[in-house]
Amino acid sequence: MILVAMRSKQFRRLFSYALVGALTVVSTVAAGRARKPFSPAAPDFRRKGPPDARIRVVEFSDFQCPACRYAEEPLRRLLQLYEGKIRFSFKHFPLRMHPWAKAAAYAADCAGRQGKFWEFHDRLYDRQDEWTNGEADRFLTGYARALKLDVPAWDACRGKPETAAAVADDVKDGENAWVGSTPTFFVNGRRFAGGKQLAELGALFIDRELKKP
Amino acid sequence: MKPRALLALFARIFVGAVLVYAGASKASAPAEEFALVIGVYDLVPSSITLPIASLLPWLELAVGWALILGVRTRAAGAAAGATTLAFLFAIGSVLARGITLPNCGCFGESMHFSPPHAFLFDTLLAALCWTICTAQPDPLSLDSWATRGL
Repeated sequence: MILVAMRSKQFRRLFSYALVGALTVVSTVAAGRARKPFSPAAPDFRRKGPPDARIRVVEFSDFQCPACRYAEEPLRRLLQLYEGKIRFSFKHFPLRMHPWAKAAAYAADCAGRQGKFWEFHDRLYDRQDEWTNGEADRFLTGYARALKLDVPAWDACRGKPETAAAVADDVKDGENAWVGSTPTFFVNGRRFAGGKQLAELGALFIDRELKKP
Repeated sequence: MKPRALLALFARIFVGAVLVYAGASKASAPAEEFALVIGVYDLVPSSITLPIASLLPWLELAVGWALILGVRTRAAGAAAGATTLAFLFAIGSVLARGITLPNCGCFGESMHFSPPHAFLFDTLLAALCWTICTAQPDPLSLDSWATRGL
């Protein structure tokens, strides 16, 4: 039957088109399967908002990245607008090109272990121009002092292998989530790359999610 | 096979393979990441960067496979040429405006070309597309099989 149909010029032409279409679909689907699942989990001190909130926002961020600092404004606006409806998690994704980002991530996590992650986080972004240089360590210690942390304990925590491991786990999660740039946000699993996408489309998406039965 | 026909065959397979690789690389990464790169070019309204980022990999894959298999070869060559010229325009405008682009976004996250390298590579692709469009019908193509049978 097929061999008979193959004798028709029109069939051969249609078969060629179908082959191109099939290969296009198969390669797109196969390429999409290269993505791996990632864990949105973060330690409690890096989460805020009600645990049973319907909207889950996960941010992969880097304290030394200027785009992450600029994204703080639309993010804070969004968290304020939907207060009580969002569970927000912060995950570290220090980029290789930022030499002090990892040290800042360790410093913030160690402040978090003393209950002051968000205060340290805000200070790092608000004063990003101040500490992102060769004297980063002196400034970070100064912030720890200003926030009245137990500085010897905070300092010891920065050198612990589990502190580095927690940040490394976040980076692994980010790589699995195919985070190519910072900041990247996931709102109920939907990706927003950069503060601009979040500012322009985030509220619309959250409204739609909240209307779902 | 004459040298001109051999060059056209090489051009068809090479441009097709590049487009399939570029399309698959982009399709394997989330469209939002590519939309972010398109946004940096600052050539289209931000409301259409995500639709472009979602559709472009499909277009590249379809045109790439059509070239490799030799289906509607001239039309596919023209489509590849038009796409390459659009990329050349985009990269040229970024270079002229002095916009800093860490990579061109041409191959998603799998390969990073700097804008000047991407400009040179796209110029080569445009020349090869011209060769495809002006070549005689290729006997080693599905077009030839569809027209004449085996």
